[in-house]
Amino acid sequence: MNIHEYQAKQIFKAHGVPVPAGGPATSEREARDLLKEIGPDVVVKSQVHAGGRGKGRVVKRDRANRVYSDLIADPEKSEGQIVGRRRGGVRLASGVEEALKEFRPMMDKDSRLVSIQTGAEGVPISAVLIEQQSSIAHEYYFSIQVDGANGQPLIIASAEGGQSIEEVNRTNPRAVLRVPVDPVEGFPAFRGRSLASQLGLPSSAIRACGDMFANLYRVFIEMDASLVEVNPFVLTSEGTVLAIDGKVGVDDNAAFRHGGYEDWRDRSQENPVEIEAEEANIGSYIKLDGNIGCVVNGAGLAMATMDTLMLHGGEPANFLDIGTVNRKDRVVEALRIIVNDPDVKAIFINIFGGLARVDIVAEGVVDAVNELKITQPLVVRLNGSNVEEGRRVLHDSGIAVQTADELGDAAALVVEAAQSVRRRTRSNK
Amino acid sequence: MSILLNNRTRLLIQGLGNEGQNQIRRSLDYGTNVVAGVHPGFRGGDTFSHGTHEFPVFPTVAEAVSNSQANCSIIYVPAPGAADAILENIAAEVPLIVCITEGVPVHDMIRVRTALEGSKSRLIGPNCPGIIQPASNCRVGIHPPDVFMPGNVGVVSRSGTLVYEAVDQLTRAGIGQSTCVGVGGDPIIGEQQQAILRRFNSDPDTDAVVLIGEIGGLAEQAAAAYIKRSMNKPVVAFIAGATAPPGRRMGHAGAIIEGEAGTAEAKITALEEAGAVISRSPAEIGSTMRRVLEEAGKYQPPGSLD
Repeated sequence: MNIHEYQAKQIFKAHGVPVPAGGPATSEREARDLLKEIGPDVVVKSQVHAGGRGKGRVVKRDRANRVYSDLIADPEKSEGQIVGRRRGGVRLASGVEEALKEFRPMMDKDSRLVSIQTGAEGVPISAVLIEQQSSIAHEYYFSIQVDGANGQPLIIASAEGGQSIEEVNRTNPRAVLRVPVDPVEGFPAFRGRSLASQLGLPSSAIRACGDMFANLYRVFIEMDASLVEVNPFVLTSEGTVLAIDGKVGVDDNAAFRHGGYEDWRDRSQENPVEIEAEEANIGSYIKLDGNIGCVVNGAGLAMATMDTLMLHGGEPANFLDIGTVNRKDRVVEALRIIVNDPDVKAIFINIFGGLARVDIVAEGVVDAVNELKITQPLVVRLNGSNVEEGRRVLHDSGIAVQTADELGDAAALVVEAAQSVRRRTRSNK
Repeated sequence: MSILLNNRTRLLIQGLGNEGQNQIRRSLDYGTNVVAGVHPGFRGGDTFSHGTHEFPVFPTVAEAVSNSQANCSIIYVPAPGAADAILENIAAEVPLIVCITEGVPVHDMIRVRTALEGSKSRLIGPNCPGIIQPASNCRVGIHPPDVFMPGNVGVVSRSGTLVYEAVDQLTRAGIGQSTCVGVGGDPIIGEQQQAILRRFNSDPDTDAVVLIGEIGGLAEQAAAAYIKRSMNKPVVAFIAGATAPPGRRMGHAGAIIEGEAGTAEAKITALEEAGAVISRSPAEIGSTMRRVLEEAGKYQPPGSLD
C-alpha cells in the first residue's frame, strides 16, 4: 500500500528528517492560513497515489479520457507547463492569490489528475500539499527497499537526483550507489555520514545528512515499509539538507501490527471493485481489458490461466486469485464481482485444490448460478483435493455449465464461448 | 538418495489449528512419518491421534526435538507468529524447516534470513505448498496427494497451484516425480530455485527437472545462470505472467514487474540461452517433458520403477 506524500512527510518530520515548511489543505480556508504562514513563494502539489504527477494534468473529469490519450501519445509534451487551460499536478506560485489559483482546480470535486500511470479515468485529488519553495544548490536521490535475493535492506543513492533513477541507472550506472544494510547493525548515523561523503556533500552538511539517512532508516523499520524514497533530497543554498519529496510504501502483510494502517490509508485512491474484493476476503482482484471473467486459486495459476486464454485467442477481463476457499460464500462473492463487470461475456473457473477443497468450490458455483442468475456461459475446470465429489456436485445440480478436466481444453471451451457470444451480439445489432 | 526428504524423514508439525490438523491427517494417510507436534496450550492434550496414528504434542520445539528426534519441521502457524516459529526451529537446530504460511511480513523474513546465516537449518518457503516425495510417501505440505506418482522428474516452482497443475500433466503423460518443491512466492524466501536445481543435479533419483517461474524478481535469471554453468540434466521451464500488464502486482508479493529484468520475456530468453526447453503454454508442460525425456532416453513408463 502507498501513502500520500504529505503523510510521508509528517512521518519524516516526526522522525527528525528535515522537510520544507508547509502542510496539506483541502479547503480554501486551510490553504489561505497555510499561505499566510509560509508564503509568498510556494510549491502547490496535488496529492494522489499515482506517479508521474508533475508531467500529468489536472483536468475536469469528463476530459480525463482525452487528455490521457494525448499523454500516452506524447508523455514528454510540454512538461510542467500550462497546455491550453490544463495544468500540471505540481505547480510553483508566488503570493496568496496566485497560489489559490493553482489550488482551486486541484481541489474542485470534479477534477481528476491524469498521468501516464493513472489510467484513462484519472484519479481524484485527495488533498493539496502547500510548501515553502527551497533554494536548491544540488539535488540527490535516496531510497531504502528490500532486496529479496539477499534478504536484506538495500539503500540506493545518487548525486544525480530529481529525475528517474531508472534513467540515471541506464545512462550512467556509476552514478548510482548501492549500499546493502546489515540488518543486525541497522543503519547508524556513521554509515549515513560515510554515504553522504561518497555522494560528495560538503563537509559542513555531512553530519546533518548522515542523521537524515539514519532517521529515514528508522522510518523504514518502524513503518514496516517496503519502500522509503526521497527523490530528491536537496542541499540548499544555505547549506542545509531537506527532503523535498517523499514516498513511503508499506507492507500490507504487516498491517496487523499497525492497526491496519488505517491512519494512512486513502480508499479514494483505490479501485472500488478491488476494495469490494478485499472486503469479501478474496486474495487479489485486478481489472483487465478483455471479456473472459476468471476465478482461479493461487496467483501463479491465475497468471498461467490468463496466459493460456491469450494463447487460445481469448482475453481475460480480470486477474482474480480467490485464495484458499473453504467456504462456499467466497465463491459466490467472487462470482458476484465477475458478473457485475459489464465487459464479461463468458466465465472461466479454474480451481486446483490443495488447501482448498474443490467440492466446496463446486457448491459455491451452484449457489452463485442460482443466486446471481448468471446468464454468461460458464466453463468450470476442477482438479485436486476432493475433485470427484466436486464434479459430482456440479453434475447433480443440473446447472448449465461446461466442464473440462485439463487446462488447455477448458481454456479452448471458454474462448469459443466468449467469441460466440460476441458474434451473436454483433448479429443482433 | 533423494533431495531434502527420504524414508528416514521424521516430521514435526508446528501449529495444530484446524488447518494444520486437516493437513497433518492427510500427510499421515499418505504414509508420512509424523513424530511430534508443537502447539502451546493444545486443546487435544498431550497427544494427537488420527486412526491408528498417534504422536505426542509439546509446547516447545526444543522439547519436541529432544523427545522425538524430529529432523524436519512443517509450520502451519498463522502469519503474525510464523517468523517466530521459524526462528524457534532454527534455535532448536532442526535441519529442514518448511513454512507454508502466507502473508509473513517482509521485515520478519529479513530477521529470519539473518538467523539462517551460519545456522544448521535450511528453510523452504514461506508462502509455499511445501515438499512432496511420492516414492517415500513423504508429504510435507498441503498438496492434493492423488495427482502425484513416483518417478524420475523433479519439480521446482515459485507458485503452489502451478506445482499441482504441472504434476497433474506429468502424471497424465505417464511421468512420475522424484521430489516436488514449492519454494514460495514471497520476496524473501529460504532456498531459491537455483539451490533446488543444484540439489536435483546431484540426485541420482532425478533425470530431468520442471522449473516453474513467474514474473518479478531475478530468481529465474539466477537459475538460468546455474543451468548454463552446471546443470547436466534436461530442464523444462514455464514462466507464468507473460500476458500480465506491467506495473500491477499479481497476488504474489514477489510477482511485480520491476523493469525489464522482471518480465516473462527476459526470463524466458535467459532460460532458453542456458539450454532449458521452454513450454510457452502452461497446458503443455507435461507433453513437453514427455518429448524431452524420450529424446534423452530417460522416459520410464509408470510402474517400471518397481
